[in-house]
Amino acid sequence: MSLLEVSDLEAGYGPVTVLRGVSFSVDEGRIVTVLGPNGAGKTTTLRAVSGMIRRSGSVRFDGKDVSRYTPEKMARQSVAHVPEGRGTFTGLTVEENLRVGAYPRRDKDVAADMQRCFGHFPRLQERRSQHAGSLSGGEQQMLAIARALMLRPRLMLLDEPSLGLAPKLTRELFSILEKIAREEGVTLLLVEQNANLVLKFADDAHVLEAGRIVLSGTAEEIKADEGIRRSYLGV
Amino acid sequence: MERFVQVIVDGWATGSLYAALAVAVVLIYRSTGIVNFAQGELAMFSTFIAWGLIEAGVPLALALLGTLALSFAGGMLIERVIIRPVEGGEVLTLVIVTLGLYILVNSLAGWIWGFGNRSFPGLFGDSQLDVAGVGIPVESIGIVAVLIGVVGLLFAVFQRTKIGLAMRAVSLNPDSSRLVGISVGRTLMIGWGIAALVGALAGVLLAPRLFLDVNLMGGVLIYSFAAATLGGFDSPFGAVLGGWIIGIAENLAGTYVDFIGNDLKILVPLVAIVVVLLFRPTGLFGSPEVARA
Repeated sequence: MSLLEVSDLEAGYGPVTVLRGVSFSVDEGRIVTVLGPNGAGKTTTLRAVSGMIRRSGSVRFDGKDVSRYTPEKMARQSVAHVPEGRGTFTGLTVEENLRVGAYPRRDKDVAADMQRCFGHFPRLQERRSQHAGSLSGGEQQMLAIARALMLRPRLMLLDEPSLGLAPKLTRELFSILEKIAREEGVTLLLVEQNANLVLKFADDAHVLEAGRIVLSGTAEEIKADEGIRRSYLGV
Repeated sequence: MERFVQVIVDGWATGSLYAALAVAVVLIYRSTGIVNFAQGELAMFSTFIAWGLIEAGVPLALALLGTLALSFAGGMLIERVIIRPVEGGEVLTLVIVTLGLYILVNSLAGWIWGFGNRSFPGLFGDSQLDVAGVGIPVESIGIVAVLIGVVGLLFAVFQRTKIGLAMRAVSLNPDSSRLVGISVGRTLMIGWGIAALVGALAGVLLAPRLFLDVNLMGGVLIYSFAAATLGGFDSPFGAVLGGWIIGIAENLAGTYVDFIGNDLKILVPLVAIVVVLLFRPTGLFGSPEVARA
């Protein structure tokens, strides 16, 4: 059974419908990406899954119908969303951002988890008492991911983690994400424009065009698809 | 010299009253991100409740505790019923709503209790300490002690507790707060509740000095905004210090600058607001918006 099952999802903003019946599933422990051009509805898909915008259709997480859940309720189901533009709390320190990330948790392992996050992102440890607003773009992205990890997520939704980062930093970030997914068993669903890069490390991919999924498959299959090669990979 | 010190001490005592309301204003701002123009009126309303309880024969301490509890609940109710529908909207909308609340609460108090003025019992008596020829009202010392206690407690809540962290997170970024599992509505309700409670405290501290009527806070509010602006709008400690500075400056100007006298004292907070906004918009202790492109 899939960890996340989305079917006939429709969503939008005000009178504008962006998603027109999106269906796909995400298996536990996999790294799954949603590819597509600007305006296809990638960000909207993530926002609809985590309940940030009005939606219809069905969203099932771990077999449970969560179609009507609010974002805070989704977070308590251990679905962590790293939004577009990172959404860090700029007026809080790095450490406070991480503590906020663990907000719904009642257990006592928060401090240990913070150390684990610092293990992934040593830069954050150096800056733990600085305000998040004073971090560089790359560091803020690391903080956003670390904050999401503090929730102990089973599923992590990532919205264009590579946006605005230098290529070297992007590769570093993706290898850390891969480590998180493989070692800690966190399922990743990430949206990316940079198809070349993301298909190198994703297991499965869904291609979104004009509010619909037009192609789904393993990363290998998608990479081999002639149309995809021409439109997205530029080879 | 004694007169000079006495003027400072009196100004400091008055400034403590401004500070009390300023702390409530700062609190709402810190926990909800909006400036509540109705803060003073809510405090006035709470003070009337305390007065009503005392008149009805409830013992003073019990009346005060009851008032604080009612104010906390009332603040939460106002957030839920009046503020929630416009939550996350334009700043201007929120400002207009709090101005509407100002008029509503003011009229409601007049309708219930009338527009006459009443005397309110002092909490600390009328005695004065005489220190080297300078009279220090015991009441002022009591007010300052309560104020410092409240601010210290609030600081601890904001910095050390989970709900305090959640309140700060919500005021900074409501969307991200939802995504980490914070219930934004409930957090804002608690923020309004605490601010209404602190406002009520300011009201009952202040009322014995003035007369209790529906415009109890009208004059004080402008001083409190000056205090909050001077101290930095998001710093409770700044608000206290700002209140003292404004109170002392006002009294010094009124006493020693001939053309100001008693009538033009109101200029002091206005000038302070303008000067702070021009030269140091974040105030003395406010945290500037840190952002790196």
